[in-house]
Amino acid sequence: MEKLTKYFGGLAAVKDVSFEVREGQIFGFIGPNGAGKTTLFSIIAGATKPSSGTVRNRGRDITALKPFRLVRAGIARTHQIVRPFREMTVLENVKLASHFGRKKVANDAEAEAHAMDILTGFDLDNVAHKPASILSVGLQKKLEIARAMATSPDLLLCDEICGGLTHVETAAMLDLLRRIRDEGTTVMYVEHDVKAITAVCDRILVLNYGRKLSEGAPDHIQQDPAVIEAYLGHPPAKRKED
Amino acid sequence: MRVSQRTLSIRGLVQWRRFALLSILLAGLAMMPWLVSSPNVIRLLFLTFLWVTTSVAWNILGGFAGQISFGFAVFYGIGAYTTALAMNAGLNPFLAFLISSVTAAAASLIVGLPTFRLRGPYFAIATIGISEAVRVVMTNLSFTGGASGYRIVEHRPFLQLEHYYTALVLASIAVASSILISRTKFGLGLNAIRQDEDAAAGLGVNPYAYKLEAHALAAALTGMVGGVFARYAAFIHPQGVFGFQTSVHILLMPVIGGIATVWGPVLGGVVFGIVEEQIIASFPEIHLLIYGALLILIILVEPGGILGAFRRLYRRLHARRRDKTSNPGGGEADEIFWRPRRG
Repeated sequence: MEKLTKYFGGLAAVKDVSFEVREGQIFGFIGPNGAGKTTLFSIIAGATKPSSGTVRNRGRDITALKPFRLVRAGIARTHQIVRPFREMTVLENVKLASHFGRKKVANDAEAEAHAMDILTGFDLDNVAHKPASILSVGLQKKLEIARAMATSPDLLLCDEICGGLTHVETAAMLDLLRRIRDEGTTVMYVEHDVKAITAVCDRILVLNYGRKLSEGAPDHIQQDPAVIEAYLGHPPAKRKED
Repeated sequence: MRVSQRTLSIRGLVQWRRFALLSILLAGLAMMPWLVSSPNVIRLLFLTFLWVTTSVAWNILGGFAGQISFGFAVFYGIGAYTTALAMNAGLNPFLAFLISSVTAAAASLIVGLPTFRLRGPYFAIATIGISEAVRVVMTNLSFTGGASGYRIVEHRPFLQLEHYYTALVLASIAVASSILISRTKFGLGLNAIRQDEDAAAGLGVNPYAYKLEAHALAAALTGMVGGVFARYAAFIHPQGVFGFQTSVHILLMPVIGGIATVWGPVLGGVVFGIVEEQIIASFPEIHLLIYGALLILIILVEPGGILGAFRRLYRRLHARRRDKTSNPGGGEADEIFWRPRRG
């Protein structure tokens, strides 16, 4: 990612943000409300065109590629608000992704078998033939990731997958992300919840007011005074002087 | 695993029974001219087959892919005029039908390329505009006789049965493609586009290309129907084949029967084929008003059409029986089988 800038009218939502995501890592974005996380995310996911700057994947320029082309290039995403196909079964949801994902499985039985494997891996096989609409939010979030993984991506973009989940569900979700990484898919992860992101990420980018504030391993980020200031305000010593 | 094998074999049985039922139905329709000698019944059946075909064709785009078009008269009319021109140029009628379907499919691309950039109601409105524009152009085009219409001169003797079987084959092709689509990757993709276009694109479906393909297939079938109808009627005029009411008829049938299903549009076509002439004959002035009221009523009361109403009824009866036997788990298999099979 190089010098990404996005203006909404005269306002720069993201300004000159550059970073690199290494393969095999979980890379997180955090930042206070309105920091530009979601904008940055949607630029990478091809949903928003940046005003300037380029996104590269293994050297190839993928800036503002159509979402279905990104999938074919090995980049899949999940949505913050889950979007299952409610009139389909859970299995059909995932089967669709096997059919149209990077591997483009044309054979019906093959796609179904692949989808079933994925569902088993995500512990969703027992609800495979249920309509997606009856799943709980937690399971729908899981389905959202399962579906994205069924497109066989190299890079998975996750948008706030733990929002609205209980502690236990969040912990399980983070384990899932680690497993996805260990099985060879790079993960980019946007989340509100600092605890969740520092627990799971190998590297973190902190945004504030659309600019890069800090970048590094979770330990490094947590001790960076600039980050602490952005989240908690001025340190107490300084505040006394005001 | 054992459970899934069992459901598989049950499914196989259901499919086999369906196939047998279809074959009997088809054989029955093929034998019909020997059972009923009335030319009027044969004529009604002929028209019903044509309506069923356009209904099923519209449903591929409007039902499976969820792109509601008010512009199918364009393809119907283009098909009719293409066959008329080709036959008057001395071509074999069946060759003319093929040319009609190709021309209509080509027209669908011209219509679809700009309009599929629009979504939902905006797409629907654009198709109305295009359809009306085409009608006006055809009304003023001199080499097809303009508003006064165009006559087809066929030198072969008129054989009603030839028309009957042409329409039956056409309807069978339409239903067969609809069944095929609903069971394959293509149908699953269209289904996903209907439910959430962006989510579908996010999983690798190219919505624009898929809509164009569905549109072209639907237009090809509709164009062929236009051709078959033109040959039968031997006289066509723009207010008829390109008229707005033609588009409304084509859209109304699948809505009556049950949108986005395989059999709903067939049912709608049959019902419409039977009642259409009665309605026009009894209420010549207000028949469009009746259609409009019907459309609103269906959308408000039972968006699933006749098929949807049947399903609801079946479920209700079933639920009552389940309550009586107090076996809450028993309905699960039925839930799977009776889940609306869409896409």
